Formats: sequence, structure tokens, C-alpha cells
Amino acid sequence: MRNHLSIFLWALAFFLGTVHVALAHKVNIFAYVEGNTVFTESYFPDGKPVEGGVVEVQDQKGVTLVEGKTDEKGLFHFPLPKKEDLTIILNASMGHKNTFLLKGSEM
Amino acid sequence: MLPKHILFQAVGLTCLLGLSATGHAHFGAVIPSDDIISQEDGRKIEIAVKFIHPMERHYMHMAKPKQFGVLQAGRKTDLLPALTGTKGKAPDQNEDFTAWKTEYEIKRPGDYTFYVEPAPYWEPAEDAFIVHYTKVCVNAFGLEAGWDEAVGLETEIIPLTRPYGLWTGNLFTGQVLVNGKPAAGAEVEVEYLNESPGNPSIVVPPGDPFVTQVVKADANGIFSYAMPRAGWWGFAALSEAEWKLERDGVEKAVEIGAVYWVHATDMK
Repeated sequence: MRNHLSIFLWALAFFLGTVHVALAHKVNIFAYVEGNTVFTESYFPDGKPVEGGVVEVQDQKGVTLVEGKTDEKGLFHFPLPKKEDLTIILNASMGHKNTFLLKGSEM
Repeated sequence: MLPKHILFQAVGLTCLLGLSATGHAHFGAVIPSDDIISQEDGRKIEIAVKFIHPMERHYMHMAKPKQFGVLQAGRKTDLLPALTGTKGKAPDQNEDFTAWKTEYEIKRPGDYTFYVEPAPYWEPAEDAFIVHYTKVCVNAFGLEAGWDEAVGLETEIIPLTRPYGLWTGNLFTGQVLVNGKPAAGAEVEVEYLNESPGNPSIVVPPGDPFVTQVVKADANGIFSYAMPRAGWWGFAALSEAEWKLERDGVEKAVEIGAVYWVHATDMK
């Protein structure tokens, strides 16, 4: 019984700790084009990568063109789907979200 | 025999000139068009490099710097070839003075520390040369990493307060290093850049001591100052170099300054 309680408390402490870190840091996504490839980087403000974040690429009509997940370095790249403004959306854990507008003029 | 009032004027003028020679602090300045770049801003920033009296808005001639570069993600990039000459002067200065500028394109997220090592400036009023190693940090696209890295200059200020996104009234804390070691008791001069963009009215100091604020670093070279107005603030930590420079066959002292610029913004 005591053992269970202590495991529970440790788990709770760990969970609260994680939540605290995630709340204190908003997520960011940055994108740039090289040749015909769009490179994205997803990170917390202190530089820690956002791992396993869902990246969604939409055109200006809101049609989803590409979807994928960031790797352990927070990176995700894909072939340029269209030469126009693209909205790149990062959905990280616990509802943390940010977008980057990649301008057609930079392609 | 000179009329009395001319004599008085001459005496007054002499006093005034004497005051201006000692009362004005010199500052190396590296002022970017923005200290925080977000995706709405575009990726180009302008950077002005000059040698000035920030509060009085006076310019001095600045020769082409010895070194001008940027430190980002631990990598230094030489930007000296991109620096072009420009002119500047205060409203009450009659001649134009040489200053420098460049445009820089931010390509990736992160902190960009721009740094300048000027050519030694001969100051007859102090019978010494002045070399102000000057830095400023620009943050790009939300990645706040790198601002506390040292460039590795002869003397420099390492910010202990993140040097961007500062409110008016914030305390700015930094550490003064000379040859990589804390400069115990270093004197730090602080001035407001009166030509800061968005400054609603030119600050007129009610007395000479208001022009340059002075704080002393502690035994670890650490100093703090709370900035009372929105705009750019310059911090200049002064030391005497261990080396001398020759002028007309005579060895002269060299004042080395570690200068850092930060921008304060009003809470609205």
C-alpha cells in the first residue's frame, strides 16, 4: 500500500513537472526554402527541439497539402508543393500550436 | 584693453569647452533597426555603427572598424566587407561625421550578437586612444539561445539579463570581462540614446551629472542599472589597456571600453 502510494506520488510529481515545463515554453516553427525543398524547424524558446510535433501545410484556401511529424531534432522537410504563400502549422503536445507563413516570394 | 563683456564671454566659453571635454562620455554604438525579428517583420535589418555622445546626439569621426561581425549559434561571420560609409551629425553640429552601416539578412532562428572592434580613436582631451569593443544582440523567430555567449574580445560585457524584450524600468545586469576575466570594480558609464527611434521628446539633462550615469561593478565584474525610459541604452565599461600606442613618437595610454546596447519598451 505504502509502495503504491509512493509510486503514485512520484508519477504525479513527474507529470506536474512535465506540465510545468511545457506551459512555461511556447512552441515555435520556422521554415525556409532551399531549391525545391521546404525545411522546417520546431523548437521551444530555449532551443529544445519539439519532437513528434504534427506539421500541417496549407495553401491560402485552407487545403491541406502536406502532413508529417518532426523528428528528434524538431526537423521536418518536404518537397515544395506549390509556389505560393503556405501556412505551416505546428501542433505539439497538449494543444501547443504555432504557425509560420512561408511567403511565395521566398520560393 | 578688451571690453569687459567680451572678456566674460571668453571666460564663459572656456568653461563651457572645458566642461564639454570632460562631461561627455564617448560611446561606440551598434544600433540595429529592430532587436526582435518576428515572421511579420521580414528578414532584413539595418545596422548602424558609429562613435557618439548618445545623450547629446553628437557624432565623432569613426574610421573603418578593424573588425565587424556577427556571432550566431557559436559561429562567427565576418561582416566587415559589407560595411559602407555614411554621414551623421547632431542638429547643433556644423559638419558631417563619418559613421557606418550595413544591411543584414537573418536566415535562421536564434540570437545574433553583432560586434565591432573599432580602429583606435585619438582623443586629445584625454591624451589617450579610445577603443570601444561594442556589441548588441538581435533575437530572431522566437529562438532565445546564444545571447549570453562571449565573442572573445579583449574586453566585453556578458549580459546576465536576457538583452531583448526588456520593459522600461527593467534592471539590466551584465558582467564585465577583460581578457576573459571578471573586471573587479570596473566603472560602467550609462547613457540614453537621445536619437532613439520613437523617442517622443529629446531629453534635456538638468545638469551635467545626468548626462552619463555611473555605476561600479562588484568584485565579480557584475553591475546593474534600471532603465527609466523607452529607447536604446548604452553601457560602457572602461579599463586601461595593458598595451600602449605611439603618437608622434610618444607612447600613449589606450582606454578600452566594453560597450553593450539594449532596448527598453514601455508597457502599454
